[in-house]
Amino acid sequence: MSAAGNFLPDQYDRDQHMSINHNYLVEQFSDSSEILRKIGDLVTRCDYTLGREVDEFEERICKLVGSKFAVGVGSGTDALFLSLKALGIGEGDEVITTPYTFYATVGAIVTAGAKPIFADVGSDYNIDPGRIEEAISDRTKAVLPVHWAGLPCDMTRIANIARKHGLSIVEDSCHAILAHRDGNFAGRVGDTGCFSLHPLKNLNVWGDGGFLVTDSKNIYEKMLLLRNHGLVDRDHCSVFAYNSRLDTLQAIVANHLLNKLENLTDTRIAHANYFDEKLASIDEITLPPHPENVKQVYHLYVIRAKRRNELQEFLQQQRIDAKIHYPVPMHLQPASVKFGYSPGDFPNSEAVCDSVISLPVHEFVTHEQQNLVVKKIKEFYAS
Amino acid sequence: MQVKFVDLGRQYSELREDILTSFDSISKSGWFVLGPNLEEFEEHFAALCHVKHAIGVANGSDALLLSLLALGIGPGDEVITAPNSFVASAGSIARTGARVVFSDVGDDMNLDPKKLADAITDRTKAIMPVHLTGRVAQMEEIGNIARQNHLKIIEDAAQAVGASRNGRMAGEFGIAAGFSLHPLKNLFVHGDGGVITTSDGSLADSLRVYRNHGLKNRDETAFWGINSRLDEIQAAIAVHKLKVLEQWNRRHREIACCYTEELKDIVTTFEDDPGEVCVYHRYMIRTSQRNELQKHLEERGVETKVNYPIPLHLQEAARDLGYGVGSFPVCEQLAETILSLPVHSHLTDDEVNYVIQSIKSFPFD
Repeated sequence: MSAAGNFLPDQYDRDQHMSINHNYLVEQFSDSSEILRKIGDLVTRCDYTLGREVDEFEERICKLVGSKFAVGVGSGTDALFLSLKALGIGEGDEVITTPYTFYATVGAIVTAGAKPIFADVGSDYNIDPGRIEEAISDRTKAVLPVHWAGLPCDMTRIANIARKHGLSIVEDSCHAILAHRDGNFAGRVGDTGCFSLHPLKNLNVWGDGGFLVTDSKNIYEKMLLLRNHGLVDRDHCSVFAYNSRLDTLQAIVANHLLNKLENLTDTRIAHANYFDEKLASIDEITLPPHPENVKQVYHLYVIRAKRRNELQEFLQQQRIDAKIHYPVPMHLQPASVKFGYSPGDFPNSEAVCDSVISLPVHEFVTHEQQNLVVKKIKEFYAS
Repeated sequence: MQVKFVDLGRQYSELREDILTSFDSISKSGWFVLGPNLEEFEEHFAALCHVKHAIGVANGSDALLLSLLALGIGPGDEVITAPNSFVASAGSIARTGARVVFSDVGDDMNLDPKKLADAITDRTKAIMPVHLTGRVAQMEEIGNIARQNHLKIIEDAAQAVGASRNGRMAGEFGIAAGFSLHPLKNLFVHGDGGVITTSDGSLADSLRVYRNHGLKNRDETAFWGINSRLDEIQAAIAVHKLKVLEQWNRRHREIACCYTEELKDIVTTFEDDPGEVCVYHRYMIRTSQRNELQKHLEERGVETKVNYPIPLHLQEAARDLGYGVGSFPVCEQLAETILSLPVHSHLTDDEVNYVIQSIKSFPFD
């Protein structure tokens, strides 16, 4: 029995009984000897906080996505939150985002003191650029698009709207490292692009971690202060700020896995394509959206399914870990009651949340396992 | 001889096998967040501090911040704290939107209970005493003042793991207390980490939800929270270190005792009150020739620090709070005279003696 408030032990326990799992970390780290060797070097140097490997990681990220600056922070959530703070967003301000996202997107806005304003999603399940302008008010300061599942938003249109109304853009790219649309990497159009290194992300570490990228020297310099107590140097504090640092130890893991990122991204895409091909003939299934000029990196492979809840239950009984990301949109969360939204306010998001189901496409899934998943889905709809 | 201020490498050597084994087994388990190592650590840490609950979080600053937030402290409120702490104490208050109110410290370097009354207003919601250097503040008197004025106490126990006063542990006095597990602390992990203690069951439940996005289960948020979790690998390290903490803290006290005995006639030293167990996260002396002494020691290979040379009320970050030079004379005088000598669990007797001899060789006025 786990402590109140921590539901993960029970969830983990259930996941362990699956034969085709979403969580691939056991396979990924079955041999960690190289990482452990590098950590062995760290512990003799004792460079635990903002150490050499954090610098190295930030430099490599800049090269990878072509940004001028990268800043390692405590988590993807903090990357979003600190971006908003660096842009001066707080009490009395509004930030427009999607109701179909992970809680951290909205949590970051609320923690910054601002109010989240939702705009419904479009056919790519991301915020619909056509719906943003109607959500803008005098108080709007920023748009926070989320590249859900690793499919980038239409940033060209979003950037045009933001420019027209003088709004900042913070990109929630937590799912979308290396994804691009119209030639722009996810995270590279906004004032900042925010990424998570959570253990289940495409680029992951051994705990919580995150980073953001920006081309603005001003934002970069603010971020260095914000993540480290507002300290200019050991003895001078220019602003009361936060502690949110990517551990050196986690940067070692991230650097190690960066070497493999392009390969594993290709593998995820290949697995997604394989599912696309095999699932295409099932009438009850809607394949993931495929807008033009997009490279999506499938942090999640999300299909829509008729009788979704029953299908999930059936697949789980077959020890196939089909998950729902996520069943309740943000505007209908208990935490959103104070914002006064109701069912029906964002019909596209609600329909998506009612019908999505995610299938495992990580690098360790085999075609044999994928075939079994497809077979079971067909079995389900035949019954 | 070179005497380093801290030597994390030596401390690591003692636990190397245990720590590497944990890294290996956790990475193989694939469970990095909110797992069994954290639960084990929380259970042991709560027992150490004589409280019902411990909640692991991302760092000591967040431990204070989450405690304040979960207690509903925010814009319009005031919280009183000491001006001679690390910036995170005041920083965590400012982050909630509440106003930071400083109150001067006494000769023990902690909040002076006699001065607190002057800092209390209609808007005061809480007092955040800092157990600086590992010495518990005068919590009996501070507790009385808090009770009389209906204020909550959130202890900044970042430096005081294992410290006690009249049989009560740091972390046991307030409704909540925040500890840091930063690499320079007596109980430390290999990166950032922190932990909150409380005996209030509903506060503990709320904190566990708050640190994990406000999630009451996988699919529903009770309120909009943040992400501030103690990583499994760091929790595992902390579990190993809890086993040696008492022994390591005892070594801190032995060294402090030795310094005080040998130096009390030439500089101002701190001494434990009866009933007080200070864990000497820092060992400080006071002298009007502080800067010259520090330089002298540096030339002799002894690394020392000043924790901290600029009081918080005189930092640029505090410019809007309306304080100035002279606002807190005891704190300001301490900032000009204090010097922290090397003290850590693996400092040898020879090194301690060398530090003492080096100080004795300084030509004091």
